[in-house]
Amino acid sequence: MPNAILDPTGATRVQRKAAAPRAARRSSLAGARVGLLINTKQNARPFLEEVGRILVEDHGAVITARHTKLNFAAPESQEVIKDLAAEAEVIVTGVGDCGSCCAAAAADSVVLEAAGVPVAAIITESFRTTVEKMAELRGAADFKYATTAHPVAVLTEEQVKARAASVIDDVIALVTDPSAAE
Amino acid sequence: MTETTANAAPGPAAEPGPAVPPDTAVPQDTAMPPDTAMPLDPDMAQAAIEHCYEQGWSDGLPLVPATQPLVDKFLATTSRDPDEIIGTLEQVGRDCTVYLAAINAAMAGCKPEYFPVVLAAFDALMRERAARGGGFQSTSGPAPLIIVNGPVRKELGFNTAGGAFGPGFRPNMTIPRAIGLIVRNAFGIVPHVLEQATQGVPGRWSICVAENEEESPWGPLAADAGVPGGRSAVSCTLTRTMEFVDNRHTPNHEDVLRDLADSIGRLGPQIFPHTPVALVLSPEHAQMFADAGMSKADVQAWLIERSGRTAGQLRRAGKGEVLRWTGALGGPTRDAESVPDEEFHRVLAAPQQIPIVVAGAKNAAISMVVRIFGEWSGVATPVAEKK
Repeated sequence: MPNAILDPTGATRVQRKAAAPRAARRSSLAGARVGLLINTKQNARPFLEEVGRILVEDHGAVITARHTKLNFAAPESQEVIKDLAAEAEVIVTGVGDCGSCCAAAAADSVVLEAAGVPVAAIITESFRTTVEKMAELRGAADFKYATTAHPVAVLTEEQVKARAASVIDDVIALVTDPSAAE
Repeated sequence: MTETTANAAPGPAAEPGPAVPPDTAVPQDTAMPPDTAMPLDPDMAQAAIEHCYEQGWSDGLPLVPATQPLVDKFLATTSRDPDEIIGTLEQVGRDCTVYLAAINAAMAGCKPEYFPVVLAAFDALMRERAARGGGFQSTSGPAPLIIVNGPVRKELGFNTAGGAFGPGFRPNMTIPRAIGLIVRNAFGIVPHVLEQATQGVPGRWSICVAENEEESPWGPLAADAGVPGGRSAVSCTLTRTMEFVDNRHTPNHEDVLRDLADSIGRLGPQIFPHTPVALVLSPEHAQMFADAGMSKADVQAWLIERSGRTAGQLRRAGKGEVLRWTGALGGPTRDAESVPDEEFHRVLAAPQQIPIVVAGAKNAAISMVVRIFGEWSGVATPVAEKK
């Protein structure tokens, strides 16, 4: 018998993550405590603030937490996740517009969902593949997120507001379930 | 009988001589592999190479199919446990062991005796915050710059002379390729999936420079990075591009420094308060500075002081936001618009942001400004000898 060709990936070492639980949804955002997880990318803050403003003014939500990531490329620590889960019932995060930050947004989302917090992650369309792969690695093969056109960083203030308005329906659909009991 | 390259012993790098056309029809009786009695079977070799492609393991070039006897030779060069974890990428939940590194090094075309250098290079790379923190997934598509110092350069046959950035020399080419294969296979960072480089860096996974210590007027990089005494050591950082500075006609060393400062201060890479570089000086430039009485530290200090652009130049390139930091990234900020146009913005703040290496042939005054991705750790890793 010839020698076997060895596998360089360590496939046998790779631990398949168990399917990550998804948080239960509310029927609407009326009265919901919403947190913004801002990843520091250019225009991420005004984008999420505008999403937050619309959720408050048009949908009855309350913004109860704003957390700015220290490193957009890395998933948040367990302490931060725990704090966010205590401070908010729903999280909106983004804007994932690069290779590492969109993957980190997916990772944060999966962990927050498992902690019982529905998440709407906003990602630019260029990064669908990497977001889905990262979510799959974290045990969320059917991860859902909101997309907006790439790029976001170069948009003017008015354009950012228009973009935020255009993802609102998707954000609400991601974090609510109209058939859920109150 | 002429030696086949496959059987050539490691030794000092040959002078790059005229290429010898490969003998494409090696008679079977001379094509004996070194440690078996079987004749070479090129058809089986081709099938094994295709198998590796089909598994998705390749960076695009043919791989050496790794077998247990070959990998055992790699593992025999180190005292480290095959199961020791030598790198973890937490965000993707993957890690690399000594054993996996050995398989990838074998596949990259390394000789077993290169393996301690591969391990040192990987250790040095994983010291880099950017490497651990998402750099391999980045749209920047950064490339490791691996610098080798000490006796191991001659022992393993590294090119230490002309054509420092390659190609043409087996250790210089296969060691960085091994690192790239580890990232691809052990960490699972595959292009278009978790790897999202917009354009990437030319020469990614193929840049390994052995410093020309013999023609450098100064001490080796490793000595600046915590490994003194001429010991074999590897330094590594991630880089985004490199640009040559060709300046061979002036007798004035300060002219050359001004030329280097212009490239170092270039607007293109500026997105953060500091934009570190590795300066790879040709022996001619390095000796010119030394002859003018400058130490390596003097060259660094001169360039730190003068490399940059004015606030007005930054603004005219749409980069006025860089001015909002008064110090390091994450430190205090100010209103960028309040900075006067004539204020000079320095791109470097410390010698660690401009490591200097001497490399290449002493045949022209050409040096390279290599742009660092993030910050260099400033720490070299000794090449371990087996206990």
